[in-house]
Amino acid sequence: MNTIIIDGLAFALPLFIIAIGGIFSERSGITNLALEGFLGFGAFIGSATVIIMTGGNLAGVELPMFFIALLFAIIGGALFAMLHALLCIPFKANQIISGVVINILAAALTAFLTSQLNSLLFGKPTNKFVLGICERFTVPGISKIPVLGAFFTDVYYYEPIIIVVALLATYLLYKSRFGLRLRACGDNPHAVDAAGINVSKIRFIAVMISGGLSGLGGICFAYSISASFNPAIYAGYGFLSIAALIFGNWKIGPTLGACLLFGFARSGGYKLAQGLGLSSSYSDIIMILPYVLTLLLLMFFSKTNHTPRALGEIYDKSKR
Amino acid sequence: MSSPQKSSDKLLTRGFVTLLGHDKYQSITTPLLAILLSLLASSLLLLVLGKSPITAFISLLQGSGLLPKASYAAKKSMFTDLLSTLNLLTPMIFAALGVAVALKAGLFNIGISGQMLVGGFFATITVGYSDLPMAVAVPLVLIVGAVCGGAVGALIGWLKHKFNINEVVSSIMLNYIFSYIISFFINTKFVNAVSRQSQYINPNARLTLADFELFGLKMDIPLGFLLTIPAAILVLFLLNKTRTGYEIKVVGLNKKAAGYAGIRVGKNVILSMIISGALAGLAGVTLYMGYYNSIQPGVLTSVGFDSIAVCLLGNAHPVGILFSSLLITIVAKGGNYMSSVLGTPKEIGQLITGLILLFAACGAYIRYRTNLAKDELRDKSADHSEGGEDL
Repeated sequence: MNTIIIDGLAFALPLFIIAIGGIFSERSGITNLALEGFLGFGAFIGSATVIIMTGGNLAGVELPMFFIALLFAIIGGALFAMLHALLCIPFKANQIISGVVINILAAALTAFLTSQLNSLLFGKPTNKFVLGICERFTVPGISKIPVLGAFFTDVYYYEPIIIVVALLATYLLYKSRFGLRLRACGDNPHAVDAAGINVSKIRFIAVMISGGLSGLGGICFAYSISASFNPAIYAGYGFLSIAALIFGNWKIGPTLGACLLFGFARSGGYKLAQGLGLSSSYSDIIMILPYVLTLLLLMFFSKTNHTPRALGEIYDKSKR
Repeated sequence: MSSPQKSSDKLLTRGFVTLLGHDKYQSITTPLLAILLSLLASSLLLLVLGKSPITAFISLLQGSGLLPKASYAAKKSMFTDLLSTLNLLTPMIFAALGVAVALKAGLFNIGISGQMLVGGFFATITVGYSDLPMAVAVPLVLIVGAVCGGAVGALIGWLKHKFNINEVVSSIMLNYIFSYIISFFINTKFVNAVSRQSQYINPNARLTLADFELFGLKMDIPLGFLLTIPAAILVLFLLNKTRTGYEIKVVGLNKKAAGYAGIRVGKNVILSMIISGALAGLAGVTLYMGYYNSIQPGVLTSVGFDSIAVCLLGNAHPVGILFSSLLITIVAKGGNYMSSVLGTPKEIGQLITGLILLFAACGAYIRYRTNLAKDELRDKSADHSEGGEDL
């Protein structure tokens, strides 16, 4: 039971922060299929920075380097997201196509740069940066409580960071003036424009925030699941978070629920397959759960689902 | 009017418009400009790496069998390389045609990879593992692939029509659902212990005649390729010369108007997704049972995603798609040879593909700017010839 909660939480929180990134972009009216590319590129920048700074020898400096990786992953993701913002906003490209292309480009670019950097630094063109696993902590006392204590046991350092960032993001989206404008851009950009606010600017910033948060989620996956940066980071976490944010009706609170559900289903599925003595192949069946649930939800509750009204539309001032 | 421009600026605008603004040729010149820009960007990248772009582009053509290499392995020649390129080109053309048909109905079929996988998997387990003779097996593979792909397409179209679920969302969900389910069945029932992929299919059912010896050469003959050009012509005919095609296009342009004109929107949405899915299914069998002869579990092929941008680069026109698919396949196929000639990481080919697709996505912007500049020029010339207007 405890491992289900520990592993589920470790997976759900990075997913959640990526999904919040998606919410920022989509609530501002920009369809974001590029989350996959953002998280990969952010994770690449974060891990490349660490590898360059330490020369690949992480022993003794794991923790400070981990925080540097987080910071640079956020910056890298935000900068890379500018590409999607540029294509979608001033260049008026179709947002779905732009997202697909950004994903293709991110995978190719990071694979290329990883082997280029590896051959420059170590003379070996391998396609991964070994990072190791992020350290964990256990809160003394509280962790002894049955069941509930598992939430405070073996916590990765990134988990509280994500919670803090998520709280800040929630405040920004729902309580600040910027958030109000951002949400208005997604529902009625003409009204925002009429109020004298620059729609393009708000959307551009929203997409960059989306990139930064995705980068944060990406580096957390690199530091936990794979213990390295490698092409396996493009395993569909971005699309899974899109499923989560649709499941959560483009709202942060319900999206957290969706991410926790997906995370616990995943860790529970592994545990179940293990417990029944089945091969790991059986966990594949559990993995379809998030997607099936989202589809069913859309089928039966599509009336109550509120897609941002101007989502995916190119904003044209002269149109009414 | 706007402030007076410098004459050089004006000349530039005029040249830009003359080159790109012609109504009839705009659909060709815009993608060509996008390709040119991407090649310039790639050249810049190669120069930064200290490599010669010209050597690079020549090696791309050599690697894909369009120019002769310096030396060949035994029983290989430029012709065998070319056949191998055509072998990879086949699924790309089918997939991009599939994207185009859906796009005409105003739908984004980003589930192409999922539909390819379903078509390829069902054809593999039904026909691929049977002992049927070639004359029966090959047509059957194509039929099973198209039917299964079409069924997935139909499901997406039905979800869109019945529950108003965005096709992009449902196809993402279905992509992963099928990928995991098929991965489960391959891993538990059809896995090859050595390759960790599905068991190789019976050579009789394969859509590529592998290692076929002719004139002292060992070649892979892609049977599926023979169908690509007829398929493109058929799609062209369907869209431009039939009532169904007309209805699909009207639905794509304006659903409401189509409804008022008595066109059944739901039927056309589902129908276009069936055709799109069937083409994706053909792409799936030509990839998994032609270019490869097994399926790697848990992986969605990149062909499905590339095809979306390839379709866009070809202006969603079947003939354009033939050319844009060829371009992307040349880069994909020649990329390995190029990286070995230049001594760069082998991902350089993918990176150039990514750059081409990136600039392809900017096509709409190029068109927008051209038309803007065109209008500006028209306004200006109208100013000059005051009084000479009919209005």
